[in-house]
Amino acid sequence: MKCVICSRETDEKSYCELHAKAYENINKKYDEWKKALEISWKEYLSEIVKNPLTGEWAKEVAEHLIKSGEKQSVTQR
Amino acid sequence: MEKYTLIITEKPDAAQRIASALNEKGKVEKKEDNGVPYYVAKRDKEIVVVPALGHLYTIAEERKGRNYYPVFNFRWVPRYAAERGAKQIRTWIETISKLANDADMFVDACDYDIEGSVIGYCILKYACGNKENVSKRMKYSTLTKEELEKSYAELRPHLDFALIEAGGTRHEVDWLYGVNLSRALTISARNWSGKYATLSTGRVQGPTLKFLVSREKSIRSFVPTPYWEIRAEVEINGSVFEAEYEKQKIEIKTEVDTVLNACKGKNGQVEKIDVKRFKQNPPVPFDLGALQSEAYGLFGYTPRRTSFIAQRLYLDALISYPRTSSQKLPPEINYKAILKKLSRVSKYKKFAKELLRKPELKPREGKKKDPAHPAIYPTGKLPERDLDDSEKKVLDLIVRRFMAVFSEPATKQTMKVHINVNEHHFYLRGRQTLKEGWLRFYKPYLRSEEVLLPPIEEGQTITVKKVISEGKFTKSPPRYNPGSLLRKMEETEVGTKATRANIIQTLYNRKYVREERMVVTNLGFEVLEVLEKYCPPVVSIKLTSELEERMDKIQAKREKRENVLVDAVEILKPVVQELKEKEKTIGKQLSNFIKRARLEERIIGTCPVCGTGKLIILYSRKTGKRFIGCTNYFKGKCETSFPLPQKGSVRPLGKNCRGCGWPTVQVRIKGKRPWTLCFNPDCPLKKERRKKIEMCNMQ
Repeated sequence: MKCVICSRETDEKSYCELHAKAYENINKKYDEWKKALEISWKEYLSEIVKNPLTGEWAKEVAEHLIKSGEKQSVTQR
Repeated sequence: MEKYTLIITEKPDAAQRIASALNEKGKVEKKEDNGVPYYVAKRDKEIVVVPALGHLYTIAEERKGRNYYPVFNFRWVPRYAAERGAKQIRTWIETISKLANDADMFVDACDYDIEGSVIGYCILKYACGNKENVSKRMKYSTLTKEELEKSYAELRPHLDFALIEAGGTRHEVDWLYGVNLSRALTISARNWSGKYATLSTGRVQGPTLKFLVSREKSIRSFVPTPYWEIRAEVEINGSVFEAEYEKQKIEIKTEVDTVLNACKGKNGQVEKIDVKRFKQNPPVPFDLGALQSEAYGLFGYTPRRTSFIAQRLYLDALISYPRTSSQKLPPEINYKAILKKLSRVSKYKKFAKELLRKPELKPREGKKKDPAHPAIYPTGKLPERDLDDSEKKVLDLIVRRFMAVFSEPATKQTMKVHINVNEHHFYLRGRQTLKEGWLRFYKPYLRSEEVLLPPIEEGQTITVKKVISEGKFTKSPPRYNPGSLLRKMEETEVGTKATRANIIQTLYNRKYVREERMVVTNLGFEVLEVLEKYCPPVVSIKLTSELEERMDKIQAKREKRENVLVDAVEILKPVVQELKEKEKTIGKQLSNFIKRARLEERIIGTCPVCGTGKLIILYSRKTGKRFIGCTNYFKGKCETSFPLPQKGSVRPLGKNCRGCGWPTVQVRIKGKRPWTLCFNPDCPLKKERRKKIEMCNMQ
């Protein structure tokens, strides 16, 4: 399989090892954002896309999540 | 012909200094043989001082050719036999061999460290015909006349064979790693793509790249989180100060609003004042790593540049030997004599005299030791030539640090005023130096600010002008720069003081990293991924520092060269085998990224005309001439193009023009100073310049 973002080879996952780490971070940090600003998952994603401090891969994953309309990962909740 | 003493030095400058220092009759005679300089000094007996050019011998495979691996059989050969572009080494060795024929005594005067010992040993063994066992050794840390004379009068009876063995083993182990792994990568990529690109890795290079990649991964996958800081602007005796809220970071917005509402329109009361006095000790003397870090922090010089500058200052006898890891200044260097000499320089006069008045001179020293050399110190000698700006700065830094280590501790005071504003606590902080001590000596290079507070008493009411909050975000860890990477290598004991700066430069040369704040390129990621996937031991930081430790043990005669070499080969063999088996897969993976890296190198920036394409350096099919074009041209969307100079090399600068904001390139032509080119024909800076020229012409 190939990573949906950068087309690197992956093992039966949607993201390569590099983007998977960014995806994990996005899920993990949502709790803190929600507590701080009481914002929804969608609002959170657009906030981190806009933020210049967000890492390149995290931004790519967030943009992909917005486009695909994917909900927050259940396993992370 | 009367026989003479032959002294071998590492570099031509050192040869000249040694000859001048040892000469007692008349003038030193400079001679040349086939373009190789040497010096004749006269004492009771004639002395011939001949320099090397750094390493004249190197390691090469026994079977010739560069296109195969694994390679485990090697031998020491003259550099001209193994390296392209090392032709002059042949005449150099021939001259030394000729001079050795008429010598009856041999002295190795190369730098007293691992590299210098290996250089001297190889010349004595191979160029002078097995004279390594009869040769004597000069040991010195500065190239001043006094120390060189003393060193010659107290010659060591033989070479430092433990140091030579340690140095030789280091070269051999590093060669085995470097040649096998680099060839595996280069040959894999070339066999797949048919194109040649130098890829390299090594025992130290791999783990160093790993530090960078690991940091880059954290940065690129970083997600910031919001937090707020609250400050109160308070007025005391007519001056306004900022007091910080008791919680430095507040992570919930509603909590911030609660504090702001509670403090609105309220005054504060001073509840408590904490005053702390403490002593700040002088810094320790510079070892090479500390000097490189400080010069990077203060002047932005890369570790390699600082190393070169320090080497030049050493060869001019202005400072002691810089490739040292010592933080000790033994009394033998004669502190008083150095300070007396420094007192002849007007800007140091006051400080040096003050130190000389002390009943006892005792330096503050660090823990690090170096068996061969003390910490870096100035000789006190005045420069014989005009130093350039960078040399002046580094010398001044070394002189001031040297004087500071003999000075008194500074006394500082911090003040923390606790202000209660409607049951919310704010702190007002002050910082003050009560006694400068060593700070006066090091003043130009200090980076802390004083915050003086007016007299305040407990119970005093303070006017709170306003309470404000500032929204912030957490930041990713910073990227390494050459200075911080060097420190990381030191902390983890990866590489040596002599090699670290060059390893960092190699990472840039191989295009694994770019920019001053080191950004790992895609090629850098791929090379490390290949190494981690197929040969994890060679990027293991633990393994590298273990090997490093064992090589240090050879120097201390607690480990044998043979054991270290056998173990290194044992680690390498399965690794190289694995790389060979996976050559095709690796070649495919690396080739794609080399291709992309080459393309990336030509991208200058976003096209300022269409805003979506990238400006890229292209070559005309008709004329072969280079120019800048937009990538959207190929989609028929943008026809932007600009001419480029056809001579020299052009590279994207990664910076935008300060006049018009367009991307810029740097042009380098041999023999000329590189210049920045903004290719916007309507750039306001260009117009301004044209106007100035016109005005000048009219006048």
